[in-house]
Amino acid sequence: MTERLTLTELQLIIKDSLYMALPDFYWVIAEISEIKANTSGHCYLELIDKPADEKHVRARIKAVIWNNRYRFLKALFESSTGESLREGMKILVKTKVEYHELYGLSLVISDIDPAFTIGEMALKRQMVIRKLEEEGVFSMNRELEFPMVPRRIAVISSGKAAGYGDFMNHLTGNSFGYIFYTALFETAMQGTETEESVISSLNRIADHADLFDVVVIIRGGGSQTDLSWFDNYNIAYHVTQFPIPVLTGIGHEKDLSVTDMVAFKPLKTPTATADYLIECFANAESRLNEISTGIMENTRQILEEWSRMVESFLSNLNLATRLMSDSNRKTVERFRSDLVSFTYNFLKRIKNICGVHENTLAILNPENVLRRGYTITSLNGKIVKSIRQVAGDDVINTQFSDGKVTSKVIEKTKDKRLKKQE
Amino acid sequence: MAKKEFSFNKAIVEIEDILRDIESGEMDVDKLALNVKRASELIKQCQKKLRTTEEEISGIFKDLG
Repeated sequence: MTERLTLTELQLIIKDSLYMALPDFYWVIAEISEIKANTSGHCYLELIDKPADEKHVRARIKAVIWNNRYRFLKALFESSTGESLREGMKILVKTKVEYHELYGLSLVISDIDPAFTIGEMALKRQMVIRKLEEEGVFSMNRELEFPMVPRRIAVISSGKAAGYGDFMNHLTGNSFGYIFYTALFETAMQGTETEESVISSLNRIADHADLFDVVVIIRGGGSQTDLSWFDNYNIAYHVTQFPIPVLTGIGHEKDLSVTDMVAFKPLKTPTATADYLIECFANAESRLNEISTGIMENTRQILEEWSRMVESFLSNLNLATRLMSDSNRKTVERFRSDLVSFTYNFLKRIKNICGVHENTLAILNPENVLRRGYTITSLNGKIVKSIRQVAGDDVINTQFSDGKVTSKVIEKTKDKRLKKQE
Repeated sequence: MAKKEFSFNKAIVEIEDILRDIESGEMDVDKLALNVKRASELIKQCQKKLRTTEEEISGIFKDLG
């Protein structure tokens, strides 16, 4: 007859066998498929082994981290990785195999190597980055033109998050008094819903892309863990494809997530994001001031030149007018003196001519001729001009300047001189 | 006083004509006194016109400051 055991006995055999076979600690690589901490503080997990390219789980086991150990490891893990232990995470843990007759097989986790997880996350991140680079989309959002005045802002955030509050306070309370227009697109910023929620918000904004100048994705302001939700390929891809610049302020001091890397500009915190926007405004304003000063300066110069030109017109006009005036005056003055001198000359000449006529008349006047000794001889009332007009014994009258003489012709003689003239 | 508007330029031409005739001796003695009187009148009017123009321009320039 085969031995008959109670279940308890069998379980104990199994337990002993297991203990004998696996007395040590084993460092194990596994993926968390479930994790839950209950009120007692103990953490219960389900670990699986599922290679990335396979659909089906190849191995599975339950695990536990007892409460005091869990407190310590949780803090260690989170401070090292910046992430909290969660589903989907690959971990390297120090385990001991335990078998309990009531609860069955489980692993007790006593330690964890955060470096492994960090490495895994980094690897995953690298893969996402490489994929985006291969597709040629990695820098697409960064190549967009950033608006000079980023006034209308689409905010992807959780309204309840402290980060959103900080961002809005900074923006509205800016010391320059700039006014921004913001619209909040309520989004889950951590947990498994993050991917779907962020992409959905991005799509909603893209539908109204003409209403906004820039998109900001913000969270944190206290919570600096679980950045790896943003190492997600889909989220990053959507950001690269986005038609307007995307700024991120997802609150991580140390690392950049892939979303940060593909964004137009990653800022460290929501506050820094707000400050960046305000700075852009301030730069635009000072650029405007420069331009306006430049315009004023140019205008002033141009006006000065015109003014100088008008001044020179004025003095030219002055000069020309004076010259013309002088010239006119001189002309009229000359007329006046010419009139006087010409008139007197004219009169003098007329008078001269008259004087000459007068003299001639005087000389020719018969009275003056008689006075000079010439006489006029007449015979029977006719004036005698030639000796041939008289004969001997003729009685002739001779007119003198003062009287008449009557005489008889005695003799006549011809002048030799006169013959020549005949 | 001529009722027509005084033309400085026309006056100059007329004065020149009169002067030319007197200088060349072609002037009729009968008309001499008349023409001299005319020329003298014109000259007076020219001088008056120059004076008022200069005053007006002075005023304009003063306005310009």
